[in-house]
Amino acid sequence: MDNHLAFFSSIRWQDIVDIALVSYIVFRLYILLRGTNVFRVLIGIAFLWVFHRIAVSLGLIVTSWAIQGIIAVAALIIIVVFRNEIRSVLQAKNVKALLWGYPRKTIETPVDIIVESAYELARSRSGGLIVFPGKEDLKELLHSGIPWGGSVSKEMILSIFWPDNPVHDGAAIIKDDQVEEVGVVLPLSHRKDLPSYYGTRHRAAAGLAETTDALVIVVSEERGDVTVALGSRMRVIKRKEDLARILRKHVGVSLKRGSYLSKQRLELGIVALAAVLFITGVWFSFARGLDTLITLETPIEYMNRDPAIEILATSINSVRLHLSGSGALIKSIRPEQVTVRLDLSKSNVGSHTFSIAQKNISLPPGVLVKKVEPSSVEVTLDHLGRKELPIQIDWVGKLPEGLILTEARLNPKKMEIIGGQQILEGISTVYTEQVSLGAIQKSGTMTVKLALNPASLRIAPGSKDNVTVEYMVTKRVQ
Amino acid sequence: MSSKVLTFLFVMLCVDVFLPWQALSQEKGDSLTAAVPQQLTLVQAVMCEEIKEYTPQNQAIVFSIINGKVYCFTSFDPVPEKTVIYHNWFYRDKLTARVKLSLQPPRWSTFSRIQLRDSDKGPWRVEIADQKGALLRIVRFSITD
Repeated sequence: MDNHLAFFSSIRWQDIVDIALVSYIVFRLYILLRGTNVFRVLIGIAFLWVFHRIAVSLGLIVTSWAIQGIIAVAALIIIVVFRNEIRSVLQAKNVKALLWGYPRKTIETPVDIIVESAYELARSRSGGLIVFPGKEDLKELLHSGIPWGGSVSKEMILSIFWPDNPVHDGAAIIKDDQVEEVGVVLPLSHRKDLPSYYGTRHRAAAGLAETTDALVIVVSEERGDVTVALGSRMRVIKRKEDLARILRKHVGVSLKRGSYLSKQRLELGIVALAAVLFITGVWFSFARGLDTLITLETPIEYMNRDPAIEILATSINSVRLHLSGSGALIKSIRPEQVTVRLDLSKSNVGSHTFSIAQKNISLPPGVLVKKVEPSSVEVTLDHLGRKELPIQIDWVGKLPEGLILTEARLNPKKMEIIGGQQILEGISTVYTEQVSLGAIQKSGTMTVKLALNPASLRIAPGSKDNVTVEYMVTKRVQ
Repeated sequence: MSSKVLTFLFVMLCVDVFLPWQALSQEKGDSLTAAVPQQLTLVQAVMCEEIKEYTPQNQAIVFSIINGKVYCFTSFDPVPEKTVIYHNWFYRDKLTARVKLSLQPPRWSTFSRIQLRDSDKGPWRVEIADQKGALLRIVRFSITD
């Protein structure tokens, strides 16, 4: 229970905005691309990605690599193969439609007009063949069609199948409220069980219906009946109401418009919910999934210090931060993104102990601090002071045998040093860096630098930062 | 060998055997009576490897730890009255030895020494102070390999 509470309390507002934004982008992609081939391929890629995550979690290394490769190639293929389709979707819509608009109007197939026209053709003993495509693409099966592009009306349908019309023997393709093509040649059925009185028109209707999900209406000019071919079934429809019901069911038009809108809203709601769930899953996979731990050694920065006060000593100079987050986030951390800062604005001269808390640590989004070692730092502060101190050389090593170093003259002999007053009070000499005796063979001169200890000490501005040493060497008298 | 030299050698033997930090005073030369008030004056302060015949031998500013000891030799002229001085030995800024030494009029030379250990390598100084603690001189040297 505590784990769940800790988990929910660790979710930041940025995470919620993150999920909401990407979910909306996915939802808009669905709105813009639904019904296109691009959308179907995108769905396929989404499934591939899910499989990839499962393969990774199960440790199927080669499978996850293979799927990852397929996804990468598929993404490229979408852009190349469907570039025209993507362009048409994006160009056809304005900015508002891209970001906000919803398809509130749908084009309905005028079922009553078509039914009326079919029975009028039957009454006048004119043959007719009308195709209503389903969800499958018919382009591979249809031949010799002539683009028509006219709105459906009774007069239009009657004129298409008028015996003197050159295209009256072919089929008319009706999609939504448009006659898309006329004079279309359909594939013939090779079934043996069809009645012998079925002519070419009926066999064409049966041929298309049995190989696709299209619905075909056939009007017989010999018998004057109306037959519907759907799937492998062909049946004569006597009543207009029955034909209208079958047709409405096929094209998805409800008698009540309100019911259609409700269905539309329900669909969008489901899609929106699915988008949120999907992106939440993706977010967990990236941001929380495969939790990775690292330890970073981070220097402590001291902020807002009174310029007159010096940091004399600190118990530590850096802390070890144990960080957790997804592998991707942890790998992308740059050292400058992680800082530990302590505010000294309220600290006076003396020794202070600061606890290093969450508020002192700055991290990239999505990365959490599990532990800080050590969790506190002791800082000693003091006022700055100046002191002129004599300089002494820190000789090291061994003089060559038989030599004695008798004297060393320094220039300058003293140096003004700036540092914490408490430190300066305890110092009466500053020493040079270590000077080796090993190379000295005779008297000479050298230049050396100071080695200020502690490091908070510094040479006062205007003073030389090095010392000239004139040294005298004599031979040992035994 | 004069009785003064014998006295000096006897005292030196006592210092080496019994006392870790020891100072030795030695009158040198004839005493001079002074009619006018005089001030204690330090005329020589040196570091050396050893002392022979009241004289510092192998004066230097760097001493090898191999020698095992190092001397601070000081000479005063005049010494107006019987008094004491201090040799304060510092390793870096840490006082490691404070040696009280007697001075006798009219002139006096005296010295102190330390035994060297391996951890004594580094910069040293000896602060020579009078009876009241006033600093008379600082002698700086180093102990090396």
